[in-house]
Amino acid sequence: MTIVATALMILGGAVAVLAGVGVLRFETTYARLHAAGKASPVAFLIAGIGVAIDLGPEAGALLLIAGAAMVLTLPVGVHLLFRAVHRTSSNDHLLIDDLAPAEDAIQNDPQ
Amino acid sequence: MILALGCFAFAAACSMYRVLIGPGLAERVMALDVMLVCLMGAVAVDAARRDDTTYLVLLVVIAIIGFTATVAASKFLEQEQATRPDTSDR
Repeated sequence: MTIVATALMILGGAVAVLAGVGVLRFETTYARLHAAGKASPVAFLIAGIGVAIDLGPEAGALLLIAGAAMVLTLPVGVHLLFRAVHRTSSNDHLLIDDLAPAEDAIQNDPQ
Repeated sequence: MILALGCFAFAAACSMYRVLIGPGLAERVMALDVMLVCLMGAVAVDAARRDDTTYLVLLVVIAIIGFTATVAASKFLEQEQATRPDTSDR
């Protein structure tokens, strides 16, 4: 049991390293946001499962609340950052831009 | 467990370097987000290492405060662009 818990914690740490390296090494802002938004909640969830196995149900409940708060909020925050970047910077390097028509519709509609 | 703590520390250091070199405000905010997630993971692993559940409540607080900070920063980014369009390359 302890071996499984420790292995999950180390696996979570490895995924966190992937997120950190992605944030550090990717070329464009969108790619960096992609690495940050996908990998980091997964890292915490995997490590949290390991800690919950190690510490028992009481800690597991707290980790469940924290993980739920994170899974619900972090994609929303990263999505808002995506939208802010899309609105404030040039998007000429994008091959496909599905957000631009919706943004234009909002700007043309005064409501 | 020490290895897991080291992994989280390394990821936080990578994010810290991204905070320092930028180049944009959005990247800095996002890298701080990743640092917060690494902090959460490190606190959780440290709780398992000490066999002590005291600090696990902190994780919920960090998650919610991090979300609030990200939303506030992205709103600030958009409003700054609306009022000062000449700073669009930052």
